Amino acid sequence: MSDIIIQADNISKVYRLGTIGTGSLRQDMQSWWNKKVINKNDPFFENDRISKQHIWALKNVSFEIREGEVWGIVGSNGAGKSTLLKILSRIIKPTEGIVRGKGKISSLLEIGTGFHYELTGRENIFLSGHMLGMNKAEILRRFDEIVAFSEIEQFLDTPVKRYSSGMYVRLAFAVAAHLEPDILIVDEVLAVGDTAFQKKCLNRIKDISRNMGKTVLFVSHNVVTVEQLCSHAIYLHNGVVAEKGKATTVVNKYLDDVNAHMLLTERELAPGVSLEKLDLGSNSIDSGDNLEFKIKVKFDQKPKIRELALLIYNSKSMRIAMIDLRPYFEYITYTDTHFYYNGLIRKINLVEGEYYIGFFYFINDTYKDIYDLKRITIREKPTTGTLKKYDTPYRGLVELEHDHL
Amino acid sequence: MYKSTSTSQTEWEWEIKPQTTWYGSSIKEIVSYKDLIYRLVRKDFLTSYQQTLLGPAWIFLQPILTVITYVLVFNRVIGLSTDGIPSFLYYLIGITLWGLFSDLFLIVSNAFTVNAAVFNKIYFPRIIIPISLLLLNGLRFLIQLVLLIIVLMYYYFIDAVDIQFSNLLLCIPAVIITAGIALGAGLIFSIFSAKYKDLLNLISILIRLFMFVCPIFYSLSMVPEKIKWIVTINPLASQFELFRYGFINKGEINPYNFLYSTLFMLTVVIAGIFLFNKKNEELMDIA
Repeated sequence: MSDIIIQADNISKVYRLGTIGTGSLRQDMQSWWNKKVINKNDPFFENDRISKQHIWALKNVSFEIREGEVWGIVGSNGAGKSTLLKILSRIIKPTEGIVRGKGKISSLLEIGTGFHYELTGRENIFLSGHMLGMNKAEILRRFDEIVAFSEIEQFLDTPVKRYSSGMYVRLAFAVAAHLEPDILIVDEVLAVGDTAFQKKCLNRIKDISRNMGKTVLFVSHNVVTVEQLCSHAIYLHNGVVAEKGKATTVVNKYLDDVNAHMLLTERELAPGVSLEKLDLGSNSIDSGDNLEFKIKVKFDQKPKIRELALLIYNSKSMRIAMIDLRPYFEYITYTDTHFYYNGLIRKINLVEGEYYIGFFYFINDTYKDIYDLKRITIREKPTTGTLKKYDTPYRGLVELEHDHL
Repeated sequence: MYKSTSTSQTEWEWEIKPQTTWYGSSIKEIVSYKDLIYRLVRKDFLTSYQQTLLGPAWIFLQPILTVITYVLVFNRVIGLSTDGIPSFLYYLIGITLWGLFSDLFLIVSNAFTVNAAVFNKIYFPRIIIPISLLLLNGLRFLIQLVLLIIVLMYYYFIDAVDIQFSNLLLCIPAVIITAGIALGAGLIFSIFSAKYKDLLNLISILIRLFMFVCPIFYSLSMVPEKIKWIVTINPLASQFELFRYGFINKGEINPYNFLYSTLFMLTVVIAGIFLFNKKNEELMDIA
């Protein structure tokens, strides 16, 4: 078994809200004057409690990484992935805990850090390379490889501001890809560039880890990539390690959690009343098809249902439609412990994309909107004509039916 | 069993801890980034004159145009005396040193704000940036010094202005102290200006006012006794006198003033470096 190369021991990071100040000297002085001198409430913080709030971006995160291992870090937005990478890259300090390690770390938190638009490709290779921690001899040794990898040979002496965005990204990644660290930290940088280039980048990371035996830490939203690339993984949830170990196990646990949050085996609607099931039959339908849905709600005591509606949101959380169920309360069936309602939405003529099914209810004394009960993919309606459809952003939200006169 | 023993056996090479140190990075670490320092100076030098009509000629044009303006305003219109020295030479000496101070101070005060995006994505000792700015402005100053010496030679041979060449060495401490105060004060302001963005507006106005309490287009001897303290309290004033004395043998030199300026410079540089090292990581949380 190889040596431990990074050991994180109970690292935590607190962000203080409020104590940061307002960012303007005049306002900070006014706040100080109001609070300390004339004992008045601070006009910039409505109450003092907020200014003392803390946010734990990371809490007691510990792990050990052995030489040559490739670790993926997964978790939803705000789980603390970036904070962890920034601590390991020495950009920010942990509030508590300690990280110990061996060897040289290089981190790629962004592609093209340190690039200057006015400078030529050649100048930028050196500038960015030095910032990433390479010395002149290392860059000179690998200069030809970097240029070949980036495929911009003929533009080497052109200022990068005249590059296409694709060329820029290729050059930036090429520099980064030829670092020779012992530990490489990569954050989502693969989200840029065309598919072919993304593949090239992934292969390079594979190469660094498998053939050169380097240790890699890799953050990605794409769990498929994490599964392919990584031997181990950490799943962060709200700043805490929810799972760590073999990549497949961790990714599965993460996916389970994501789905559980969406599918909700059960969600409490009101005291003693909980939604047990919202069944859509299928997770994807063609635009224009009908959609069946089944609602199953469990209760302790027969509840008084005042209002009920099904909501459809698009991927940008915009409400697209409401299916008001008030006229259909007579079709709700009751047992001793549950009530059921089955319905059918006719002809969902929405432009293809991802949609979320939500729920509005007013039961007993509680009312609420839930907007992420289920995700549904609406596929493009099979076309009969030969005309190619416009891209989705141009087509708005709804496909309306139309006839000539 | 194996796990616990292996941990204790391992020799760690680095640690990331919550504490920040005042002294920051070791000299050894900074030296290992010497290639980066060179590239940063080169980048700033190359890019500052890109897409300009006259390019690097601005290094000379900037002081020349400023001096011409001052000659017109202070000498021709207001009629300030220049101790019998040609006013163009007299003002060029002051402006050259002032240029070093104001350019270095302003660019270092801005260093954190300008580089926040890079600091947020990549680690290198942050002090590298002020060091590279110091070198950049030192280089620019040396080039302007060439201009100054050409002008000096012109007046020496054509106008027979009296120059004691042995005195020229006196310029060296004046330059070091001026650059030191600019760097130290700039480092202190860079931390505050990163937190309070409106400070940068204030600084650019203050520096213009500050120029008038530096003996650039007048000499200390011309200041009325009653308000002389306003100028002598300024640690830079004696350095302008010293710098001018080095070139043209005119001016007041006082060892107490010199000592005061030296101590002031050392204090500001040490405080600046400490504050910069201690606070820059905290600032990353809000940048």
